[in-house]
Amino acid sequence: MSAKVEWNRRSFIKGAALAGAVPLIAGGSMAQQPSKQSQEVPSGQVPKKPLGRTGVQVSAMGLGGYHLGSAETEQAANEIVAKALDHGVDFFDNAWEYHDGLSEERLGKALRGKRQQAFVMTKVCTHGRDKKIAMRMLEESLRRLQTDHLDLWQIHEVVYDNDPDLIFAPNGAAEALLAAKQQGKVRFIGFTGHKDPEIHLKMLSHDFPFDTIQMPLNCCDATFRSFESHVLPEANRRGIAALGMKSLGGSGELVRHGAVTPEQGLRYAMSLPVATTISGIDTMQVLDQNLKIAVNFEPFAAGEMQALRAQCRVVAADGRLELFKMTTKYDGKVGREQHHFPTTQELPL
Amino acid sequence: MPQSSSGTIPLRKFGRSDAKISALGFGSHHLGEAPDEKTAVEIVHQAVDGGITFFDNCWEYRRGKTEVWMGIGLKGRRDKVFLMTKTCPHGRDAGLALQMLEESLRRLQTDHLDLWQVHGMAFDNDADLFIRPNGAAEALEKAKKDGKVRFVGFTGHHNPKVHLAMLNTGFPFDSVQMPLNAFDANFRSFEQQVLPELIKRGIAPLGMKPLNGHGEAIKNGAITAEEALRYAMSLPVATTITGMDSLEVLRQNLQIAQNFTPMSEAEMSALRDRCKPDAADGRFELYKLSLKFDNPEARLAHGFPLDTQQFEVKDMFGAEMNTGHPWPEKKF
Repeated sequence: MSAKVEWNRRSFIKGAALAGAVPLIAGGSMAQQPSKQSQEVPSGQVPKKPLGRTGVQVSAMGLGGYHLGSAETEQAANEIVAKALDHGVDFFDNAWEYHDGLSEERLGKALRGKRQQAFVMTKVCTHGRDKKIAMRMLEESLRRLQTDHLDLWQIHEVVYDNDPDLIFAPNGAAEALLAAKQQGKVRFIGFTGHKDPEIHLKMLSHDFPFDTIQMPLNCCDATFRSFESHVLPEANRRGIAALGMKSLGGSGELVRHGAVTPEQGLRYAMSLPVATTISGIDTMQVLDQNLKIAVNFEPFAAGEMQALRAQCRVVAADGRLELFKMTTKYDGKVGREQHHFPTTQELPL
Repeated sequence: MPQSSSGTIPLRKFGRSDAKISALGFGSHHLGEAPDEKTAVEIVHQAVDGGITFFDNCWEYRRGKTEVWMGIGLKGRRDKVFLMTKTCPHGRDAGLALQMLEESLRRLQTDHLDLWQVHGMAFDNDADLFIRPNGAAEALEKAKKDGKVRFVGFTGHHNPKVHLAMLNTGFPFDSVQMPLNAFDANFRSFEQQVLPELIKRGIAPLGMKPLNGHGEAIKNGAITAEEALRYAMSLPVATTITGMDSLEVLRQNLQIAQNFTPMSEAEMSALRDRCKPDAADGRFELYKLSLKFDNPEARLAHGFPLDTQQFEVKDMFGAEMNTGHPWPEKKF
């Protein structure tokens, strides 16, 4: 399937553009704690939202790629993807380095024959290395994902203080993004990171034509080293699509420590002015739980948002539930190697 | 060859006070890594004889072992030194901090401290927790008023912003301890952000981690021990605290300190530039980016997970272990 066909399909969908006026939807995070009762998924569809100024719409909840590799079997991953698609989830996240390629391979297989229904994103993992390596990773990602183009290609895990300098150095990853876009191999480009709003702002200060920017957004982030306060307004101002992640803390920390329920956490993130909220889902049970929230999604009112922020303020204040900001726990293997940091085993936190 | 076992180390003024302390300070975290009590005591003796007067310690190091060993080592020498230890409430109440003070005094076999500091300001809410009613600030005030401590301060290695938040509480600190080295100079820098503020306020700056904590950059070949220590000591600080876990390390440090001549500004600038590429992502300053250097006490008080591989955590589990015999006895 060619990029052109995909473009046409997108403009066809465009109709219902809510023009970003109303508080939108966005999505979530990783493994959540589904309740014991079975989740009845309503028959409706997950709502769509505009992807920044691109003219494209994506589902307000996105399927996180890391957890696709954590799903018990390939069959389970196939079923998760199929059911998500059936309920209107069309935003699929991934990364070259997730599970050493398994996550991309699984998504590629699960989307066989359904590629046109999906908005496929993956991430490049140069972690400071040059354009050539980025382009090689792109080819590998395309092959694993069994497609000839990506809808979105992002620079993964911009979390070290000198990453922006390395990315924008001559012959760095930023040049790869432009080249790939020019060659028609990717439609849109962006970057991701979970560490520090200042690093995101440093990336934005280069005035590079990013289409998207991915960041952690949750009820604790709102009052602690906050992407919501510092980065989200800037992305909105520039018309760059904001993609939320870690709505429940990365591994359900907010839920496990009783700060919020899965519904409060996911709805909070989805109520922010983002294009989608990416949620990691590794079992059918978690999928059903999240679909129920996303299909029935009603944005929180401003007062409800404020109440949730207040509810989380005390545990948010030291970052105990946002370990991705305060420790090295969520920093990946490839990035650590490139930055000469100890391994996860040597430096778990 | 300079004699190191009985020499002198330059003395410097401790902030606004009349007290003077040695430009090189004895860091005690590493003392707990000495093979046994006898070695530890010998290290302390030779440090005093070599001219070190500033002795660092902390209530939570090795579950009290380093305070106990230092207490034994300083018996009969207490008056020759400026003794500091730290309290570890990590956001908890003044009463707990004062209980720790009594324990520290007992272990160190003394009736007073020259300096008592709040340990490990690390988290964004630590300043609020410190200054709140019934927070550790009240403990510092009371201990000083009761004559149990002469001076008070705080320490931390994570984030210059947390140090500045502590200063902005308006509490009258006598000293502030922070990591200062040629890598810090270009990465989330205490040298740039905190040190000038202390000098302005007349608070004694105490440098630590001149060798990045565990000599990471030296092992890697990015800098020599002498360059690193001389750089830290050349900053406008009252002392530079460095860890000494063997007589060999002690002698090496004494030699550098006894022969100390400050680096010129040009030398310091050249060294900063040389270290800059390695400084840029914090690879040699993991204490700013991870919880690796934070004791279990701090993590527990703040609700963070423990790292079961950390030796402090192993110590903690070991100390709680039931050493009695099971009944009925297990047959293997």
